[in-house]
Amino acid sequence: MQILPLTTILVLFFALPTALFLIVSFFDYDRTGIYPAFMLDSYREIFTSISTLRVYGSTLKFALIVWAITLFVGFNIAYFLIFHVRNAKIRIVFFLLCAIPFFTSAIIRTIAWIPFLGRSGAFNNMLISLQLTARPLDFLLYSDFSVVIAYVYLYTLLMIGPIANSLSKIDRSLIEAARDAGASRRQIMTHVIIPLSKTGIALGSILVVTQVMGDFFVVRQMSGGQSASIVSALSTEIQAMQYPPAAANAMVLVIIVATMVACLMRVVDVRKELVK
Amino acid sequence: MDPLYEVELAAVTKRYGSSIAVDSISLRVPKAGYCCLLGPSGCGKTSTLRMIAGHEGITEGDVLIDGRNVTDLPPSARGTAMMFQNYALFPHLNCLDNVAFGPRMRGERKVERHRRAREFLDLVQMSDYATRFPGQLSGGQQQRIALARALIMRPRVLLLDEPLSALDPFLRVRMREELKRLQRELKIAFVHVTHAQDEAMALADLMVVMDRGKICQIGAPVEVFERPTSAFVARFIGGHNVLPWKDKLIAVRTDQCVIDRPGAAPGLAGRVSTVEYQGPTIRVGLKTSAGLEAAVVLRDHVFKERPLSTGDEVILSWPEACAHRLAA
Amino acid sequence: MTERIPRPNPIDARPWTFYALAMLFLFYMLFLYGPMLVIYTLSFQGPNGGVTFPLTGVSFEWFRDVWRPGQMANIPVAFSRSLTLASAVCTITVVISLAGGLAFRRPFPGAGAVFYLVISSLVMPGLLVGFGIGLGFQFLGLQPDLFTSALGAQLTWTLPFGLLGMFAVVNRFNRTWEEAATDLGATPLQRLRHVTVPILLPGIFGVALSAFTLSYDEYARTTLTVGAHNTLPLEIYALISSATTPMLFALGTLTTAVSFLLIGITLVVVLQMQRRRREWASRS
Repeated sequence: MQILPLTTILVLFFALPTALFLIVSFFDYDRTGIYPAFMLDSYREIFTSISTLRVYGSTLKFALIVWAITLFVGFNIAYFLIFHVRNAKIRIVFFLLCAIPFFTSAIIRTIAWIPFLGRSGAFNNMLISLQLTARPLDFLLYSDFSVVIAYVYLYTLLMIGPIANSLSKIDRSLIEAARDAGASRRQIMTHVIIPLSKTGIALGSILVVTQVMGDFFVVRQMSGGQSASIVSALSTEIQAMQYPPAAANAMVLVIIVATMVACLMRVVDVRKELVK
Repeated sequence: MDPLYEVELAAVTKRYGSSIAVDSISLRVPKAGYCCLLGPSGCGKTSTLRMIAGHEGITEGDVLIDGRNVTDLPPSARGTAMMFQNYALFPHLNCLDNVAFGPRMRGERKVERHRRAREFLDLVQMSDYATRFPGQLSGGQQQRIALARALIMRPRVLLLDEPLSALDPFLRVRMREELKRLQRELKIAFVHVTHAQDEAMALADLMVVMDRGKICQIGAPVEVFERPTSAFVARFIGGHNVLPWKDKLIAVRTDQCVIDRPGAAPGLAGRVSTVEYQGPTIRVGLKTSAGLEAAVVLRDHVFKERPLSTGDEVILSWPEACAHRLAA
Repeated sequence: MTERIPRPNPIDARPWTFYALAMLFLFYMLFLYGPMLVIYTLSFQGPNGGVTFPLTGVSFEWFRDVWRPGQMANIPVAFSRSLTLASAVCTITVVISLAGGLAFRRPFPGAGAVFYLVISSLVMPGLLVGFGIGLGFQFLGLQPDLFTSALGAQLTWTLPFGLLGMFAVVNRFNRTWEEAATDLGATPLQRLRHVTVPILLPGIFGVALSAFTLSYDEYARTTLTVGAHNTLPLEIYALISSATTPMLFALGTLTTAVSFLLIGITLVVVLQMQRRRREWASRS
C-alpha cells in the first residue's frame, strides 16, 4: 500500500522516540546514569521550580508576540500579492523574492542581525547619519527586541505561504457578489475574505508558534544570554546527561504544543481543506 | 454461432450503497448499430455506459460483447474504447503521441505505431496537428484527437460520454455529421450518451430513453417520436403536448395541433400566454382553462393569415388521427 | 456637441490600500534583504577586521578561510556531507510523499490517524525528535550516524512538508487521465510511468527543491543524531560558539550564491516544462 513507507518511517523515527522519552521521563537518575523506575520527581521539579516556570512564561510570551506580528505582516503581504498584484509574472517574482532568503542557513541569517543592530552596527550608523538620534540605540541588540525581530525575520514566510495559498483559492466572483450587494471594503474583508482564509491562517499560526516554542538557537544568540527558551534549557540538561528531567521537560512542552495545535485545528478543519 | 448483437446487457443493475443508479436494464445493440442513451441528468445513462466500458463495477447482471461475457474483464480486454466527456487528452504528449498511446502500451514499435497514428489522424482530418499539444487546440479539435485515440485500438464498440455537450451549436451539428459518417465507414457499434433529444434523434438507429435508472422506451427515433409510450417520454422527447382527453391521457405533436376561435372545433379552451418567433415557424404557448400548459407550432404563413397575441382566447384542437394514447 | 474628457475607469483605479500595502511590501523587502546585504558586505572584511562594522579593508581573506580546514571546523568536508545527506533525503522524500499524496486521494482506513501523525511530526520541536532518536539509539547500543539516525530525523521534518506539498500538486490532477490510460490498455505501472508522473513533474520538482533545502539547512534535529561528523549547519554552529569571524559571512555569501544557482536551475527546468504544455490546466 502506498501509505506504508510514510507511516513506517514516521512511526519509527517520530512516534517511537516520543514514546521513549515519555518512558524515560519517569526514570530515576544520578550523576552516574539513569535507572528504570516510575517516579514523578522530574515532573515535580518542573512544576515547583520558579525558574522553569519563568522560562516557560518567557517562551510563551515570545510565541504570542511573534505570532501576532507575523500574522499581521504575513496576512497583509499575502493579500497584497494575491489581490493587488495583477500581473502573474510579477507575482511569481515577488514570491520568489520572499522565498529566496530561506535558502540560506537560518543560523547565518540570525547572526547577520548582530552587526546590523549593534551599537556600532549598520542600523545605528544609518540613524546617526540621518540625524534621527544623537546616540546609538542600545535596546536594539541583546534584548527582547532583537529576539522578536529575529523570529519575525525567520518565520514570516511560514505565514505568507499558507495564507497566500488559501487566499488564491477564494472564488473572485464571491467578492464581486459582495460588492454588488453593497458591502464596503472592510466588510468584504471581515465577512468574506478572512473567513475563507481561515485554514491558511490556522496552518501558518501552527507553524510559527511551534517553531518559536521549539527554538533553542535564536534566543541564545539574540538575547545575549539574558533570556532562555524551554528547549535551550532542555539542551543544557541533555549535555549534562540528565535525561529524565530533560525528558520530563520535553513531555511538558509536547503537551503544551499539542494542546495549542489541537485548539487551532478544532477551530479550522485543516485536514479537509488541505486534502481536498 | 455468429451473434446477432454487438452489445447485450442482461438485467444489469448498479447500486451505490442503498441507492440504485441503474435498475435491472436489458438492452441489445445490433452489430454496426448506432445506439443513443438519452435521458435527463441522474437517469443512469452514464453509469450504464461506464459499466459497458468496465470503468464501473456491475452489481448484478451481465454484459456481453460480441457474444462474449465480459462482465468480469478489465476495460482493455473487452474490445471497447471510450471517448471521455472532457476528452482526457494527455497534456504532456503531442497529438501524435496521444493517438499512439494505446499501441505503445501494447508494446508496438515506434515506427509502426507512429505510422498507424498518422493513419487515424488522417481519418479525423487532423494530420496537420500531429506535433501540437492538446492545450493548443480548440474544443472541436481536441475531440477529434480523442476520437482518433480511441479508434486506433480497433474496438468493436465505441463508447461516447456526452461528446458534443461542450461544443457550441454550430460545431455540434458539424461534429454530429462527422460521427455519423465515421460510424458508417468503420461499421462498428457506437453507444452514445446524451441529454439532448435532437442529437439522439439525428444520430441513433436505436434510441433508448432512460429515467431514474430504468428504460422507458427503446426503438428507432421515428418510433419513439411518433408513438411515445408514456407521458415522460412524450415530454422529454419534445414537440408533444400531453393532454387529458375523454378520460384518457393523449400525446399530440405540437406541429399537428391547430388553434381556432373559441367554439369553432372540439378541443380544449385556453388563453395564449406566449408567442415565440422561430424563423420558419412560430411557437404559440398557451394555458388551458384547466391550468395546463401546451404549445402549438405554426408555419409562418399560417400565422400571418391569422395572427395571435398574448391574452387571446382560443381553442386548442387536433385531428383525431394525430392523437396518440399514452399508457401512463 | 460636448467633448468627452477621457477619464480612467473607476473600477481599474488603485484604492489607497494598494499604496499602503505596496509600502509594507517594500519595507518587508528591505527588512529581508538588509541583513543579507550586511552579510555580503562584511564577507569582504579586511584580514584584521571583526564581525561588526566598520570595514577595516577589502579582501578575499575570509573567502579563502572557508576552504581551509581549521582546528575548529572543516567547511568543505561538512559541505559535501550536507550535500549528500540532502540529496538522499530529497530523493526519499519525493518518492514517499508522492506515494502518500496519491494514496490520500481516496479515503482509506486509518487516513485520519496517518494525517494526524504527519501533522504531529511537523509541529514537534526538532531538538526533541533528535533527543528521542538519540536516546533510542543509545538504548539499542547503536552509534548515531549520518545516514541512519540523522537521515531518519530529517525525514520526520521533510516528509510532512513533502506530503503537504504533494496534496497541492495532486489536487490539480484530473482522474480521467488515468481512466483514459486504463481504457487504452495501460497497466498500473505503465499508468504511473507514462501518465501520472510526467504530468505531475513540475510540481514534483518543486517539492524536491524544498525537501533538499529543508534538509540542507536543518540543525535542530540533526544535532543530536549525527554522531561525530557534522553537517554544514552544525559546523557553523560550532564555529559561532567558539570564534565568530567574518569567515561565517563569507560562507553565508557563498551558500546564498549556491541557493540562487539551485533555484535558477529548477526555475528554468520547470518553466521549460510549462512552456511545452501551454496552460493545459485551464483548457482540458
